[in-house]
Amino acid sequence: MKITLLATAAASLALAGFSANALALDVEAARSLADQNNCMQCHGLRKDKDGPSFLKTADRLRGKPNATDEVLKHLTSGKEVKLADGTKEKHTVAKTMPANDVAQLRNLAAFILSIQPK
Amino acid sequence: MTASGKSGWWAALRRPSAKYSLLALLVVGFFGGILFWGGFNTGMEATNAMKFCIACHEMRTTVYEEYKTTIHYSNRTGVRATCADCHVPRDWTNKMIRKVRASYELWGKITGKIDTPEKFEANRMAMAEREWARMRATDSIECRNCHSFEAMSQEAQKKTAHKKHVEARQQGMTCIDCHQGIAHRLPRGFRKPGAEEEE
Repeated sequence: MKITLLATAAASLALAGFSANALALDVEAARSLADQNNCMQCHGLRKDKDGPSFLKTADRLRGKPNATDEVLKHLTSGKEVKLADGTKEKHTVAKTMPANDVAQLRNLAAFILSIQPK
Repeated sequence: MTASGKSGWWAALRRPSAKYSLLALLVVGFFGGILFWGGFNTGMEATNAMKFCIACHEMRTTVYEEYKTTIHYSNRTGVRATCADCHVPRDWTNKMIRKVRASYELWGKITGKIDTPEKFEANRMAMAEREWARMRATDSIECRNCHSFEAMSQEAQKKTAHKKHVEARQQGMTCIDCHQGIAHRLPRGFRKPGAEEEE
C-alpha cells in the first residue's frame, strides 16, 4: 500500500513537471511568430490599432477554461472580424514553419493571453 | 626572335598573322565569341537554378524547408518564385555584381561557417540583415519584378493591407521594410519596425 502511494505520488509529480514544461511560454518564439504573420500591423500589445490590442483580448478571455482554444480558433479559422472603423474583413490565418504546427500556435495564443496592463 | 628582336608569348600575340587572312580570323573570332558567351551565360544561369541553391545542406535543410511552407513556393495560381527570383537581380550588370559577391559564400562553405543548424541560427540574424540591406538599397528590385504599387487592386486586397500599402507608398517605403521573413523564418530576437513602439 505504502509503495503504491509512493509510486502514485511520484507519477503525479512527474506528470505535473511534464505538463509545466509542455505549457511553458516561450515569449520570444511567440513574438517572432506574431512578427512573421504581421500580427502587429493590426494589433498592439496594449494599444488598439485596426484590431483590438492583445491586452483587450486577454482581458476578455482571461480565466475562461477554453481561452487558449478560443484564441487558437481565431488565429486559424480566417473568420470575418470587425475593424476599428466598423468595416469587416477576413482575419489572416496564422502560418507556421513547419506548416500547421499547433504547438507554435498554442504558444502564441498563450502569449496573447499573458499580456497584462502596465 | 622577331624582326624587332622581341620574343615570347606577348610578342607572338601582338605579331600580325602571316598565315591566316583577316576574314578567317574574324570568322573564327565571331563564332568562338558566340560559343564562349553562350557557355558563360549557360553556366551563369545554371547557378540560378533552385537545384543548384539547395545542392548544399546548409540551404536545403534550413531556409529551403521554410520557403516550402510559404505562398512563394505553393499558391492558388501555380506561379512560383524560386531562390534566384528573390535573391538575384535580373539585369546583367547587377546580376554579375551579385554573383561576384555571392562567391564569398563559397568561403563560408569551405570554412563550415553555417554547417550545423546551431551555427546557422547563430548567424541567421547577420545573414538576414545583410540581405535586407541589399534589397533595401535596390528598392526591393527582385520583389518589383513581379509586384508594384501601381498594379495593386484596391478591390482585390484586404482593406487593412491596402491601407498599409497606401501609407508605405506615401512614406517612400520599399517592400522589404515590412515583408521581412516572407519566405523564411525571422531571426530569433528580431522585431519588425513598429512592434516595439509601446514597450
